Amino acid sequence: MDLSVTIGNEKLANPVGVASGTFGYGSEYEQLIDLHDIGALYTKAVTLLPRTGNDIPRIIETPSGILNSIGLANVGVERFIQEKMPACMRMPCSIIVNVAGSSIDEYAAVVDRLETCEGLFGYEINISCPNVKHGGLAFGTDPVLVEQLTRLIRNRTKKPLIIKLTPNVTDIRVIAKAAEAGGADAVSCINTLVGMAIDVEAKCTVLQMKTGGLSGPAIRPVGVAATYAVHKAVSIPVIGMGGISCGRDALEYLLAGASAIQIGTANFVDPQTVSNVLREITGFAEREKLSTIQDFHRFVS
Amino acid sequence: MKQVVTTILSNDPLSDSFYEMSFTWDIEQTPLPGQFCTIRVSPFSAPLLRRPFAFSDFDATDKKASVIYKQRGPATGLLAAKREGDTLDIIGPLGSSFPLKDCEPLVCLAGGTGFGPMLFLARQSIEMGKKTSLIIGYKTLSQVPALASLSACDPIFTTDDGSAGHKGTPLDYLSSVNNVFGKNTTVCACGPVPLMRGCAQWAKACAFPCFVSLEQVMACGVGACMGCAVKVIDASKNGYARACIEGPVFPAERVVWT
Repeated sequence: MDLSVTIGNEKLANPVGVASGTFGYGSEYEQLIDLHDIGALYTKAVTLLPRTGNDIPRIIETPSGILNSIGLANVGVERFIQEKMPACMRMPCSIIVNVAGSSIDEYAAVVDRLETCEGLFGYEINISCPNVKHGGLAFGTDPVLVEQLTRLIRNRTKKPLIIKLTPNVTDIRVIAKAAEAGGADAVSCINTLVGMAIDVEAKCTVLQMKTGGLSGPAIRPVGVAATYAVHKAVSIPVIGMGGISCGRDALEYLLAGASAIQIGTANFVDPQTVSNVLREITGFAEREKLSTIQDFHRFVS
Repeated sequence: MKQVVTTILSNDPLSDSFYEMSFTWDIEQTPLPGQFCTIRVSPFSAPLLRRPFAFSDFDATDKKASVIYKQRGPATGLLAAKREGDTLDIIGPLGSSFPLKDCEPLVCLAGGTGFGPMLFLARQSIEMGKKTSLIIGYKTLSQVPALASLSACDPIFTTDDGSAGHKGTPLDYLSSVNNVFGKNTTVCACGPVPLMRGCAQWAKACAFPCFVSLEQVMACGVGACMGCAVKVIDASKNGYARACIEGPVFPAERVVWT
């Protein structure tokens, strides 16, 4: 049995990743879990300059989910390289940097700077960010822009390039195809869903930014459906995520067509989730005599 | 910091809606006053997130830690229903602690569930032989707990309605006694924001160092998610700090009160 996952020209040791924004830069969880179990660690989003993040509150709990408005709080690419990367490089798992920006130029500048560093596995591009030049509408909602952005980054790196799709679109397959046409090695889906909570007593939105990103078990069926649709639409690997809390949840994604998965909100609930999910996927593969990740894709037509 | 499955040794009501829960402590690291643990209250997806609770006691001999909590929602409701012998998934100890070294006299000011960590701090300070005052505010007599460890600290109670102790809030009490605590006093506070803000102002006027414990909704509890941000004065931190790792205890002069 070989559960490694090929993305572009590189291989991840196993299909279980930890989602950007839920695992910091890895060292935060070092005392709590065996990092060897992680196939890929997707870092907290990195932007060109440090970002303070959104006003508080930033997290609220919703039925079987959370609504977050962190605002890409991060130290910026320079401090990421100086302060965070040395520890990342000591970790026994592949490091994929999640890159975010407010303009195409910002994405390019972050990738250019990271290309000067050694040891990174690749990039996951967060296209759910508002594009300041297009009135704040997310990059990921416009297929022309997605193809252009993907190609721009493709021309700057030979490393595995993953485009992280937003579910807040009419047809996610159109965006996935645009990423594939631009030269992406894989797509990950889904990012958080737009959600809002209102404080009925105060008669105002709970989050200062009015809306936030919904994640957690509540969104799992949305993520599975998106993964299934995207897998049918493109020939590059799909990395599925959204509400995975246990092995069965991860198996739903793999059977729907995902070649790898990411665990996000569940890291907050139980840091052992990664190890448990890997064990359960491996056990399932043994029981069902599946020898590669592609074998999982045979069943659900 | 470790994640362990502990066993509940007791989970008893202390007074109207307040509970004290004790559980086995099999972690090498000793919890300190001000630090907290996160508890997974349910194995299901709702309530989803772990909940943070400040330690109210630690017994090194019996390897037993305690938290005091108020039953106010579904998560604390589930916690209150737990019984002796039940297991409990905890991560701890987490966060920063109140200072104890070179802090004498020490004034501990508490309101609401803030009395758990303040009781822990006051007891440790008293055990170290230091002059310590513990002032706790409640709404009314029915909230005042009958707790032997609390009585041993000779606390000063205030109630909003005057049904027990001094009428008013701990802040009213502080203002009424002015400065009876003496030079070099250190003030520590935990409770509702108006109480801590008022305490910080009083301490500043007296030129006493003051430390407060800030509360914020937490997701990871270990510094990864940036969710539990609190506003602080610190250029290098861009005006926010994480309550879970840089806090929850902050020097009052760093806090931007909102």
